[in-house]
Amino acid sequence: MEAETLNETKHPFKIEDKVRIVLVGNPNSGKSSLFNSLTGLNQRVGNFPGVTVEKRSGNFKVNSQIKAEIIDLPGTYSLSPRSEDEQVTFDYLNDNNRTDIPEIIVVIADASNLKRNLLLASQLIDLEKPTILALNMMDIVQRNKQEINVEGIQKAFGIPVVPMNARIGKGVDQLKETIANYKHQKIKKFVDDHLSKDALDNTLVRYRKIKEIVQANLKSSGESVTAQMTRKFDKVLTHPIWGYVIFLGILFLMFQAIFSWSTWPMDWIENGFLVFGNWLGDTLPQGILNDLLVEGVLAGLGGIIIFIPQIALLFTFIAILEDTGYLARVSYLMDGLLKRFGLNGRSVIPLLGGAACAVPAIMSARTISNKKERLLTIFVTPLISCSARIPVYTLLIALVIPAEKQFLSFNLQGIVMMALYLLGFLAAIGTSMVMKYLVKSTERSHFIMELPIYRPPRWKNIGITILNKVKVFLFEAGKIIIAVSIVLWVLSSYGPGDKMAQVEQKYEQIKNDPTQELTVNEDQINSEKLEASYAGHIGKFIEPAIKPLGFDWKIGISIITSFAAREVFVGTMATLYSVGDEENTASIKEKMANAVNPNTGEKVYTKATGYSLLIFYAFALQCMATVAIVVKETNGWKWPILQLLYMGALAYFSSLLVYQIFA
Amino acid sequence: MADTNKLADCKEGDEATLIGVDDEQLSVQLFCMGCVPGETLLIERIAPFGDPIIISVEDSFISLRKEDAMQMTVKKK
Repeated sequence: MEAETLNETKHPFKIEDKVRIVLVGNPNSGKSSLFNSLTGLNQRVGNFPGVTVEKRSGNFKVNSQIKAEIIDLPGTYSLSPRSEDEQVTFDYLNDNNRTDIPEIIVVIADASNLKRNLLLASQLIDLEKPTILALNMMDIVQRNKQEINVEGIQKAFGIPVVPMNARIGKGVDQLKETIANYKHQKIKKFVDDHLSKDALDNTLVRYRKIKEIVQANLKSSGESVTAQMTRKFDKVLTHPIWGYVIFLGILFLMFQAIFSWSTWPMDWIENGFLVFGNWLGDTLPQGILNDLLVEGVLAGLGGIIIFIPQIALLFTFIAILEDTGYLARVSYLMDGLLKRFGLNGRSVIPLLGGAACAVPAIMSARTISNKKERLLTIFVTPLISCSARIPVYTLLIALVIPAEKQFLSFNLQGIVMMALYLLGFLAAIGTSMVMKYLVKSTERSHFIMELPIYRPPRWKNIGITILNKVKVFLFEAGKIIIAVSIVLWVLSSYGPGDKMAQVEQKYEQIKNDPTQELTVNEDQINSEKLEASYAGHIGKFIEPAIKPLGFDWKIGISIITSFAAREVFVGTMATLYSVGDEENTASIKEKMANAVNPNTGEKVYTKATGYSLLIFYAFALQCMATVAIVVKETNGWKWPILQLLYMGALAYFSSLLVYQIFA
Repeated sequence: MADTNKLADCKEGDEATLIGVDDEQLSVQLFCMGCVPGETLLIERIAPFGDPIIISVEDSFISLRKEDAMQMTVKKK
């Protein structure tokens, strides 16, 4: 009796005009389909406070009077949390402090896998909160010639049950109706806690009970069609030889597509920003604000947006592979290998993603439940050559390797490019193998993963996933890059004392002097100004340290400025070598090729310097956005700083070695 | 029992009944995914070098590592 009154007061339930829906379910139960079908584009992605778990929330109308807000909790198999994602779900459901508006838990269960999915449902019922059970994937149940007695299940569980097929939106209206008409009633506990002492025991008691319920309410005739189909696919796709061949083939096609298809939109974006920047620069009154906006903010913004096509494409592929169920097989195929390096089958996704951009790649490491394996994955992902290195590689390779040069009848430039990618990958797994012994962990490493049945991709879900990923990348990385761009702009636009003014004065005099024949190039002024700026002074200051690598102070400046993002290297070089058209790499290339050391009269860009610089950019963590995301994902500065130092040292000593070999 | 094995010792295509799981944390995870004592496990796939493996319970497919499979006692059918 006492318990009953307690519950009545704890959960006063009456929907007036607002309700909060909390969506819970097993992974692969169709939770995101239901979420997307309820909210459409009316959704937001954020983070749960204090943790790095993605929080999806949104709004929808239950009927003409009732508005609902909906929270999509991370997928979980049970209420005994084993990963950060599941902990979030657990904490959210056990938090009794949200009393502002009535709340209904909607637990979505894969009806084609009833026993396992009902386990979570039974645990949720025992929280004694208003709960609705959505039986999803009824289409598969039908295809497998099974029949579920929905009413029987409703009776056994004591909560409303709505059959649906969220994939095509079937049953969603009935769910809304059930929400609107939800009547508070005391829920009978599924399993009394007093009967079972520990979690294990409790699960087994639940299981026995569920088995009885399922046996009584599920009519099945023969083998499951979908499981048979999945087995057929898996015969090939997880085959000890063909499985790997197919995976490599898909990988190859994927990267071909990413790099070739993205060229067009990337050119448009680049040109668009150029045109807009010029227009803005001409339209706004001249002055500091103009410079800051055009050269600082806009240049920084352009530097991020240009990567969106590649990131969007990469995530399109990953989303398709994930949605069809294939990505889980890739994790299975790779776990045996990656385990030896202290990683996990699931590390495949971040390592693949790292080839486009380390920022979203590091975010995707969240699905690795083992803390150590996740940390190692985050630590080594930036060593994979990302798309921001491409402009740097392209420029430097073109500079030191003649286009006609061949190696075993292959174009040598292409071989060097590939070697750099390979080097990045080897450095990543090598680092991880060493780290495996250095990072202590008491947590046992598991790789228990459900392989979902193969299904055609849900294009709407994929579209929404890509949109969300791009948004997160833009805002997370964007904030930092703009901030650093502004700092770098200040460093290269201002100098100590009156040095900058002196340069301007000098050229002012030359311009006004009628006896001077020399025509003054605007870029020559910029170049000299940069030398007089703070950035120039820093470059000169660090020159002794980078001289053994074959770098001069100009390269020093570029290394500093390109800390914002690697591709800034090309732009800074362009300014330093006073090239007229910044977009024309060929002319930067020529200028750099002709650059001569004033003291020795020797060429600056010898083969040794070129290779050394290539290695430097392959290894150094020259990316503010990555540092920022690692701070966020590891909840502190320890790991990003270690990563920065480690990759810096690796880059420095590898470059030193390369330069000494080739010099 | 003389006729029990570790799951890790089973071959591709074997069918076995799960008897128990030694590691407690592991057992909670497995139970939640439908791998409960008394259920029939089918060894679907063993990756090169014996690790990891894919098993199926009812109609769900689960991938796990060899060292986890060593903790699982089964009775071959």
